[in-house]
Parts: sequence; structure tokens; C-alpha cells
Amino acid sequence: MVEASEPRPGILSTHGISKSFGELRAVDDVSIEIADGEFFTIVGPSGSGKSTLVRILAGLDRPDSGNILLRGEDITATPANARPTCMVFQSLALFTHRTVGENIEFSQKMKGVARDARREHALRMMEVVRLPREYYARPVTQCSGGEQQRVALARALASDPEILFFDEPLSAIDYRLRKILEVEMKDLHRRTGKTFIYITHSLEEAMVMSDRIAIMRSGTLIQTGTPHEIYRRPESRFVAEFMGEVNIFTVADGRLAELGIAAAQIEAPYLVVRPEYLRPAGNGDADFRFRAEVTNDYMLGSRTQFHLDAGGTSLVAELPALAAAGIAPGDVGEWGFDRADAVPLAD
Amino acid sequence: MTSLPVALLLAAGFLAPIAIVAIYSIMPARTFVLTGSVTPENYVAAFTEGYWRPLMWSVSGALLTTILCLLLAWPTAKALKSLEGYRATFVTILIALPIFISESVRLFGFSLFLMPAGGILAGTMDAAFDVSIGSILNTRTAALLGMVYVHFPFVLFPLLLGLSQIPEEQREAARDLGASNWQLMREIDAPLAAPGALIGALFCFVLALGANAEMRILGGQSVTVITHAIEQRFNYAQDWPMGAALTMLVIAITALLVLPVFRRIDIDRLIRR
Ligand SMILES: Nc1ncnc2c1ncn2[C@@H]1O[C@H](COP(=O)(O)OP(=O)(O)OP(=O)(O)O)[C@@H](O)[C@H]1O
Ligand SMILES: [Mg+2]
Repeated sequence: MVEASEPRPGILSTHGISKSFGELRAVDDVSIEIADGEFFTIVGPSGSGKSTLVRILAGLDRPDSGNILLRGEDITATPANARPTCMVFQSLALFTHRTVGENIEFSQKMKGVARDARREHALRMMEVVRLPREYYARPVTQCSGGEQQRVALARALASDPEILFFDEPLSAIDYRLRKILEVEMKDLHRRTGKTFIYITHSLEEAMVMSDRIAIMRSGTLIQTGTPHEIYRRPESRFVAEFMGEVNIFTVADGRLAELGIAAAQIEAPYLVVRPEYLRPAGNGDADFRFRAEVTNDYMLGSRTQFHLDAGGTSLVAELPALAAAGIAPGDVGEWGFDRADAVPLAD
Repeated sequence: MTSLPVALLLAAGFLAPIAIVAIYSIMPARTFVLTGSVTPENYVAAFTEGYWRPLMWSVSGALLTTILCLLLAWPTAKALKSLEGYRATFVTILIALPIFISESVRLFGFSLFLMPAGGILAGTMDAAFDVSIGSILNTRTAALLGMVYVHFPFVLFPLLLGLSQIPEEQREAARDLGASNWQLMREIDAPLAAPGALIGALFCFVLALGANAEMRILGGQSVTVITHAIEQRFNYAQDWPMGAALTMLVIAITALLVLPVFRRIDIDRLIRR
């Protein structure tokens, strides 16, 4: 047994992998270390190279340069069908001419496993992903989106891979079901103990499920860390803005340019403050204070979001319901935030 | 109600001639009226007077042509699919172009190529390599070669359509799940391209069953095919009822093969998507 505190051994690592399409460097010198059993998510906007990267990791495409190691062994030239990895595609890529059972059994059939053993294995996998047994003989084309999702998961799991790749498997699914499947995915990861490498353009999704997140931009991984680290300590404006609505201030000549207030001892050129750290500061207890007018309010369930106008600069603040009571559009007053809650950024 | 004109056209252009042929086929031999007394004698003659031979040559020739075309079309379609952009277009045009040239012209060209001694193939071999080769012209092999040459595009293009509709990700998924090249073909490519292949095979078989020119021009009439026999009945022999009976037999054989195939494939699915 591995002690919980011991660092987990690495399972997959890449060293400077790159791939270009003509002039475009879709993946640019990417090096990552992924631990055994980790839920690792790569997040980035459309076109940032996520699919290209994961296709290389799964062996569906070759990198132009760099190499990939699986438990220390170079598998860069190993084709997909010889790698102990499996990918769940965005389109799911279910075999439309086959039944649910035949889809799930596919990898076993390729290995020449006997029919009865295959069937038993498939039914077990269906149990793992919570698909009723009756679905075994049903054509996949007659399954709903959520059910097809589970078939694809079961099919991937049935090949007993060491690493599972997911290329935005939930992006075509409606919000409610997606939320359910996100939780199931995380649960499945815990129960199977396998390494999951997951791709999404939704940071929200990444936050819910991942042990670690890497942010991808124009082919490079610009920041890697736990969800907490990424959220609390973004290293660039790109990451900060990708994390959702934030307030970004420019630091110039020891002042916050937008607010015109002193910002002593802040070296970085930018300062990021999340909406939940801006608060009314009428009693003067915040490190940085300024006057602002409330222009709008939006109920977000347990929180309320306020849009502020601070001398021409638009800001966003979010307060828990209790603290928000009594604040209404048109109110003018002191707002502020603390130094500890502001993140300095180099770019 | 837009289907009414189409229905009328079909009735006039397709059903009516068949009906006339059908009626002729049960008229007394060598008569030219549709009102004689009904008799099965032409059908009896079709089976007793040696017509089964041309019929067998035609059916076996058509089957062989279809099989050979399928075997050739599969790798060709796969290769075409893997070619990119303009190259694929270029090769496709090269293969499709001959369809627009009269079949007889093409077959005479082929026959020039195969001619002994002075023919293009034999002559070149002789002049360039000093090798004398015989010629297969006027043999069944030459006719079969011509059949494959003429009917190949009719198999290739439906098959190509079928293959190109296979989602690439399904193939990648199969590979990712451990499929070898052979397994990929058996489990994904073949079943998914099957409707296209079947349509192509049908085209090929039906056309090849009625083919005549290949045997006349390249085969030197080394055997008589059914179309030729029918033609003879109508022309030289002036025995329309006999010709009609043979025609009905060919139609029956075609229907027997075609209808089950059509029942198996979902044409809607093939042309949509
Ligand atoms: N086969 C290809 N040929 C040419 N360019 C490609 C190819 N595949 C991807 N690209 C380009 O590479 C870049 C990265 O593409 P990729 O599909 O990896 O992005 P992505 O991050 O997965 O985006 P999305 O979130 O939209 O799926 C894009 O600019 C894309 O146009
Ligand atoms: Mg993608």
C-alpha cells in the first residue's frame, strides 16, 4: 500500500512535444508530468490545441518532435492500438451499426475473448457506469444522449486502460445532465482508481472534477496547478480572466490607475481582485478604498452580483445574500478590498 | 399530387413495354399479334432447346464480373480515400471519364490493344523487348477483361460513397480499442460500406447480365450470351414471342436477385447523412 502522504509515482510524461499544421503551431513544446491515478484536466479556449495534444497522447497522431513516456518507457512511436490507453471522443464515436453490448465488448472481441466471457464483462461494465442490463441488446442509435455517454464510458473502461482520455465528452449535453455526469465522472474516477486526462473549455467543469488543471493557450500550457492554486493564484491576466469575471487594475507610479488611489509596495504591473473580495467599506476597514455607484444588481441564488461604476471604471462585486441586503442600484458609497485578497500579475 | 406525372411516365415508359413483352411471350411462336391463343410453348422451348447455355454464360459472366469488380474496387476506393484534395479529384476524373465515351469505341480500343502481332501490347513487346507474345483476343478471358473494364466505375463510385460516409472517429475509436488493420476492415469498414458495395454490385450485375458488346468485340463470339440470343430471335429469326419469353426470363432472374438486396439496405440512410 502506498501511504497517502507519499507522492504518487508518475505514469505519463511528455518532453517538449510539438505539432504544427502548416505555419500554425497547434501544440508548442508541451512538457507535463502526470501522476498515477490523477484526474488531470487541460482547459483552454477553442483552438488552443487541446484536441491536438490529447490525440498525440492517445497515439492517434504523431508529434513533430518531443517524446512521450509511459512509466518511463518511450511510447512516442507506439500506435494507438498498442497503447494501454483509451480515448472517449467528443462525438463519442460509438459504432452505430452495433448494439450497446457489442460496442462495450469491442476491445475484448479484438483480443479474441470468448463470447460468454465478453458478455459477462460487458454487463459488469454496464453496472459500473449504471446502465440497466436491458440495454445490452439495444442498438446504440436508440439510446438517449446520456445513455450513449455511459456506453462510451463503459466501452473505454472495458478495455481496462491504464489511462483514459476524454476530449470534451460532455460539451454536447444539456446543462442539467452535464452537472449530473460531471459528478458521476468524478465518482467513477475515484472508484476505478485509473488516471483520467480530461479536456474541456469550461473551467467550471474542470474545477469540479480535477486533481490538477493545466491552462492551455495557443499551443502551450501556461499554468498548471490544483484548482485552488489556479483560482487563488492565477499567474497571468489570461488565466485570471479565463477563471470568470474579475476586476483587473493597472499599477502605475505606485497608484492603481483606474481608481486613482495609492498602491504602495505593489511591484507587479497588474492587480487582480475577484468579485467576492470587493465589499462595502463604509467603516473604513479595507486596505484599498474608493467611491463607487451601484449600477445594477443580479440575483445569483445564494449570492448577489453588483455592477459598480467607480469614476468611469466598471467593476464587479459579489456578496452573500445577507451582506447584499439593503444595497440597491443608485446607491453611492465606499467600497474596498484587502491586500491579501488581491493577486499581483506580471502580465 | 406531384407524384402523378411521375407515375404516369413510369407506367407509359416502363410498365407498358414490359406488359407488351409479357403478352408476346405467351403468344404462339413466330406470330406478330398480341391476340393469339395463349400458350406456354415459348417457355418450354426456352428450357428444352438449349437456351439455358447462353443464359448460364450471361449469369456466370455477370457474377464473375461483379466479384472481380468488387475485389478491385475495394483497394482502389481505399486508396482514393487516402489521397488528398486535388489528387483524389484527378484520379476520380480519370476513372470516371471513360463513362462518357461510347462503350463500343472503348471496346474497339481495347481490342486494338490486345490484337496479336500488330496490336499495341504485342507489337510493343515485340519491338521494345523482342518478345513475341500470343494474344487473348477473341477468348472468353478477353471478354471478361472487357466486362470488368466497362463495369468497374459502376461498382467503384457507390463503394467510394459508402466508404466516405464512415465517420473517421469511429475508425479511430476502433483502432484505439485495439483493432488491427484487418479487424478494422472487418468490424468497421466492411459493414459500414456494405450498402454502397451492394448498390454498386447490383448496378454491375444488372448491367453485366445484359452485356453483349464485350463478347462480340473482344470475345469474338466464343460463346453466345443471352442478350445476343434474344437479339437473334427478334431480328434474324423473326420469332418475337420466343425473344419475349427469353427477355421475361432475364427480367425474372434480375428481379429474383435485386429485390432481396433492396429489401436489405436502407436507401434513405445511404443518400441522406
Ligand atoms: N488536421 C488539421 N489540419 C490543420 N489544422 C488543424 C488540424 N487540426 C487542428 N488544426 C488547427 O490547430 C489548432 C488547434 O486545434 P485543436 O482542435 O487542437 O483545438 P482545441 O483546443 O481542441 O479546440 P476546440 O475547443 O474548439 O475543440 C486550431 O487552430 C485548428 O484549426
Ligand atoms: Mg477540440
